[in-house]
Amino acid sequence: MFSEDFVRAATRRRLRRGRRFALFVGLGTGLVLVGLLSIPLFLLGALLPGPALPPAFGAELARLLAGSLRAAVCAMLVALPLGFATAAFSAHFCAPRLRAWLKPALEMLEAVPTVVLGLVAAATFAPWLKLHVATLLAAIAVVPAVLLAAGFALGARVRDAGRLPLALLPLVAATLAIVLAIGAQRDAAAVVPASPWNAALVGVALGFAALPLVFSLAEDALLLVPGAHAQAAFALGATRWQALTSIVLPAAGSGIVAAALLGFSRCFGETMIVLMASGNTPIGGFDPLAGLRSLSAELALGMSEAAPASGAYRALLLAALVLLLATVVPNLLADRVRERLRRRLAADARAA
Amino acid sequence: MNRQRTAAAGTWLIAGLTACVLGALCAFVVLLADAGLAPFWPAAVEAVRLHDGREQVGELAGGDAAAIVLRTSEIERIGDGYRRLPRAAIAARTRPADAIALTLADGRRLFGRGGPAQAAALLATAATPAQAVDLAQPNALGALARLGAFARGVGRFLGTPPSASSLIGGVLPALLGTVTLVLLMSAVVLPLGVATAAYLHRRRGAGARVLRGAINMLAGVPSIVYGVLGLGLLVHGAGAGIDRLFYAERLPMPTFGSGGLLWAALTLALLTLPVVVVSIEEGLARVAPSLGEGSLALGATRDETFRRLLLPAIRPALLTGLVLAIARAAGAVAPLMLVGVVKLAPALPLDATFPYLHPSRQFMHLGFAVYDSALASADAIRGVPRAYACAALLVAVVVVLNLSAILLRNRLRERYRALDF
Repeated sequence: MFSEDFVRAATRRRLRRGRRFALFVGLGTGLVLVGLLSIPLFLLGALLPGPALPPAFGAELARLLAGSLRAAVCAMLVALPLGFATAAFSAHFCAPRLRAWLKPALEMLEAVPTVVLGLVAAATFAPWLKLHVATLLAAIAVVPAVLLAAGFALGARVRDAGRLPLALLPLVAATLAIVLAIGAQRDAAAVVPASPWNAALVGVALGFAALPLVFSLAEDALLLVPGAHAQAAFALGATRWQALTSIVLPAAGSGIVAAALLGFSRCFGETMIVLMASGNTPIGGFDPLAGLRSLSAELALGMSEAAPASGAYRALLLAALVLLLATVVPNLLADRVRERLRRRLAADARAA
Repeated sequence: MNRQRTAAAGTWLIAGLTACVLGALCAFVVLLADAGLAPFWPAAVEAVRLHDGREQVGELAGGDAAAIVLRTSEIERIGDGYRRLPRAAIAARTRPADAIALTLADGRRLFGRGGPAQAAALLATAATPAQAVDLAQPNALGALARLGAFARGVGRFLGTPPSASSLIGGVLPALLGTVTLVLLMSAVVLPLGVATAAYLHRRRGAGARVLRGAINMLAGVPSIVYGVLGLGLLVHGAGAGIDRLFYAERLPMPTFGSGGLLWAALTLALLTLPVVVVSIEEGLARVAPSLGEGSLALGATRDETFRRLLLPAIRPALLTGLVLAIARAAGAVAPLMLVGVVKLAPALPLDATFPYLHPSRQFMHLGFAVYDSALASADAIRGVPRAYACAALLVAVVVVLNLSAILLRNRLRERYRALDF
């Protein structure tokens, strides 16, 4: 059929193309590996003996670390309750039509650049918060209390909770409106923040930014629990809430811890929100109403001004190394936890 | 009974907190749309008469319980026309139909009342002379004319460069800079992502495990650390080396040895690599194994199967990954602050002179414009609305990109449902 020459030429061409593709794959992967390894290696280079670090570098680093920590903890106080509650609702109660909106909406929020959230915090929320810290605290206390009381009094009559958030939206909005109106009438000076740019402000904005991540990870963990577990609880007469708290939550517990860890790591390394809303004053301590300066903000502000190969530059590289370690270690930990949970629950599902 | 009530209370609590999240999301969208579009509506001109008989004409720029802030004629320079008027001193506030607003070429605004003759007199009051570019009577505009002015404002914002103070004028260079940067980054990250995914697809050994772990780790590294790496290794390392080798005659003026488009694109490529690799791998996992097995059975090598069969089959996944990477890159501002973004670039990175794309030039960026106008501008009353306008544009770009990624993903799913035999 084909002449021998033709077959040989075609085979050569095939082999050549195969070699070219192998070269492309090898080169590309090699470049990626170089890029990957260069991050830790470059920063570890700052540990080698070099120009003298600025005086009091240790104390400065500790203050920055404390600043990052304070911002991340404040953010977690916002993101964890809201994220976990939304995840639990979405995974366990939500009507499918509502869930089809809720999840993409939160995915969109995750895509919003943090500089935009920083702008809202710095330009719109900060002037309000400066005068109304007490109102914010009151709202945080009153809204859950009203919800619990309303649920205790009326909740037993509602059979299907699938669309409850839409029904509760007016209640929440009305409660908030009343709290805000009372707050606006009272004189603002009940609690005066040390600075209009403070950790509480950063926490609200950063918590809002971390919310989608915490939500999606926690929801994933809850959905991994085999449905047979909850159904067994229902068969024994448990309500949905009882099945959630006594069966599903304990089974997914480690995944939820992993979600918190990953959220914390994200907040710890976030730059733009902290840069715009924290005031960038290196203040130690734990006061949520004082300003702060984080590791990431220090890098963003100081790095382009420090001369290469100077002591200040080396100090900044060390700060970046600390930041890298502080975010990567919780990440690795969370990855292992999630992997173990996935294996265990997969085995459970097979057994069921 | 009591246990039932406790359960109901718990359910209501988490449902209510979900409602809080939904409400906050809606409030955020409304705030962004409102504050982002407000700067383009023609502002009404107010005439404020004080008790002592003086009259001030200008735009309302802010205020609180005790006083209002009026932007009156800016005689010498931008930002010198703000007047704080105590509410107690105000006798009457009106919006006269004959109020005129004159915009000068340098962005200053002059306010007065009357017809063309008064406008000419008004122009003469400017201490530093400049040409008038726009004369309007904002209070006399009908609904349609206001809409026209709004559309013109949006058009000017998208289509013109900013003024020297970057308070007035459009964001065209920032928009162009963002787009050029993201395209250059895509050109780098796509081949790298495909090569890495091909390697991970072929190999199952220790090397692949290490690579996969490293890529997972990469996704958790804070973006500012990429900026540090870009500045330290690319700008100060590679860039300075290129300067010494090829541009020695121009030293000590740096060419590639200072932040620029190329280094920013490479930094962002590393930042977005995990997104692309994960997306390609998801696509590969979705392709029915029988497809690849059939190809192998017909005598194709593993490479040929990947290149000729799997790669075309996962094109939508590839695109999805790319779009998600672009969305992530468009929102990453912190690393850019270290590798070449500037408030006001002297020249565009993309222009009509050879070689058209100038990878060593500094550039402007929408996200940085948000940061800069909000916090570092000379005139905060103008800066914050401008920052909101930039933010709304940036969010619009990112949301459109993400929505297209979601649509692509859905199309991919349908396609492979048909193929799933």
